[in-house]
Amino acid sequence: MTAVQKRIVINKIALAFSTLSAVIALSFLFWILGVLVMKGLDALSWSIFIYEGSPPGYADSGLKHALVGQLILVGLATVIGVPLGIMAGTYLSEYGKNSKLAHTIRDISDIMMSAPSIVIGAFVYAVIVMPMGHFSAWAGAIALAIMMIPIILRTTDDMLQLVPGTLREAAFALGAPKYKVIIDVVYRGAKAGILTGVLLGIARVAGETAPLLFTSFNDNFFTTDLNQAMPSLTVTMFNYAISPYDDWQQLGWAAAFILSMFILGLNIIGRLILLAGKRK
Amino acid sequence: MASIIDIKEECALQVRNFDFTYKGAPAPSLKKVTMPIAKNAITALIGPSGCGKTTLLRAFNRMHDLYPGNKYEGEIEFEGRNILDPKEDLIHLRTKIGMIFQKPTAFPMSIYDNVAYGMRLQGIKNKTELDGRVEKALQDAAIWKEVSDRLKHDANGLSGGQQQRLCIARAIAVEPEVLLFDEPTSALDPISTQGIEKLVIELKERVSIIIVTHNMQQAARVSDYTGFMYLGDLVELGNTEELFVTPKEKLTQEYITGKFG
Repeated sequence: MTAVQKRIVINKIALAFSTLSAVIALSFLFWILGVLVMKGLDALSWSIFIYEGSPPGYADSGLKHALVGQLILVGLATVIGVPLGIMAGTYLSEYGKNSKLAHTIRDISDIMMSAPSIVIGAFVYAVIVMPMGHFSAWAGAIALAIMMIPIILRTTDDMLQLVPGTLREAAFALGAPKYKVIIDVVYRGAKAGILTGVLLGIARVAGETAPLLFTSFNDNFFTTDLNQAMPSLTVTMFNYAISPYDDWQQLGWAAAFILSMFILGLNIIGRLILLAGKRK
Repeated sequence: MASIIDIKEECALQVRNFDFTYKGAPAPSLKKVTMPIAKNAITALIGPSGCGKTTLLRAFNRMHDLYPGNKYEGEIEFEGRNILDPKEDLIHLRTKIGMIFQKPTAFPMSIYDNVAYGMRLQGIKNKTELDGRVEKALQDAAIWKEVSDRLKHDANGLSGGQQQRLCIARAIAVEPEVLLFDEPTSALDPISTQGIEKLVIELKERVSIIIVTHNMQQAARVSDYTGFMYLGDLVELGNTEELFVTPKEKLTQEYITGKFG
């Protein structure tokens, strides 16, 4: 065998192995999705959206309470986390730039991004739930918002920095004050990127269970009271899945399916927006 | 020593003993620059890269203030006051002294909104007035015919040359006294360059123009006065024709004949 032939064989072996690895890695994803779709669609019915939780064995049981609770928790977290994240990102990109303070904030934010979510839950439990004396939707939403902030802060910072400096200078050269330059020119230029960051941030926290376990806790009944424990899809799924009752387990599958589709949808929309923004 | 022509006509700007030092730099980038800028005329600044011509240009609208730590010394007189005064109102100054950049800087908004941007900053909200002035600015920038049927379209859909004329329209819409051009055609093709040069010459009826260029032919074609800069000094300022035909300084002659650059 000549040296060249040897190299061709090695090349083919390497190619085969890496292709196989990629197929194995991806097959898990499709396996998960496949099981989820099969079990989830099986468990899905209109009654899920109409009825709230009930003790095992009852016919009229559903997930309305958890669906609405989930939307309230994630919505509230978005309302708290998105403005804070965007404003902090704006500070870093437009004011802090390369200062020591800005770098420190970036580093801390990156560390926060990888903080175990249960630790954030414990923190909120200590500073909000304990003083208040009871679980609440507020506590759950704040825990989720804390997880969301570093993601949105980072993408906002990155996306704003992609806006060319000459565009800022051009706006200044027309006599624009700094806040106008940021709102009219910089935000506009980075619109698609910021929106994508927000959607990915929401998608990231929407599937969290740990931060909610001892903040918003759970409830088997429908509620919109933000000062009370609030059911969520994730914690409900956890409780139903570990229960020994067949009908609860079915509801658990339905919850898993709905949650996954919601997060998958957010991710796809986020990526599409970014793609459309790049193509322009 | 430098040879600076006496300008008989009225001056738009007077630079006197101007030193400029970038943040952290050990020595000034501009050294004791003194030069008059004639009103309603075109003054070109030429010189090799790093000679300070863009640095000087960006001092006229205090662009250097966007990056803290830079230091001005000396005087630039405009409308009877020293615009290097720390108390100078920069927002007002920049509406009086506009700037066109090397690369077109169309904002991510419609063509109409781009041109209206400066006027809206000044608080003009009346739709009829805005419409009229946007149209006039676009006509003056010789781009109205090409864009009149798509004013609401995204400005980034225009070609480079069109975007540059749009930027000129945007700058003249606020009726400045002085326009600064920082190598406005270096990113454009020859046809677009010709269009911009023609436009610059037409504009001097209304504004005083300072143009930085790498291209000596361009300076010769468009300007009335030319300043040659080298290593932070203004070596010579003269009538364009005289400077290119009979330069007074040896350095100028060497540069324009291509001995260095």
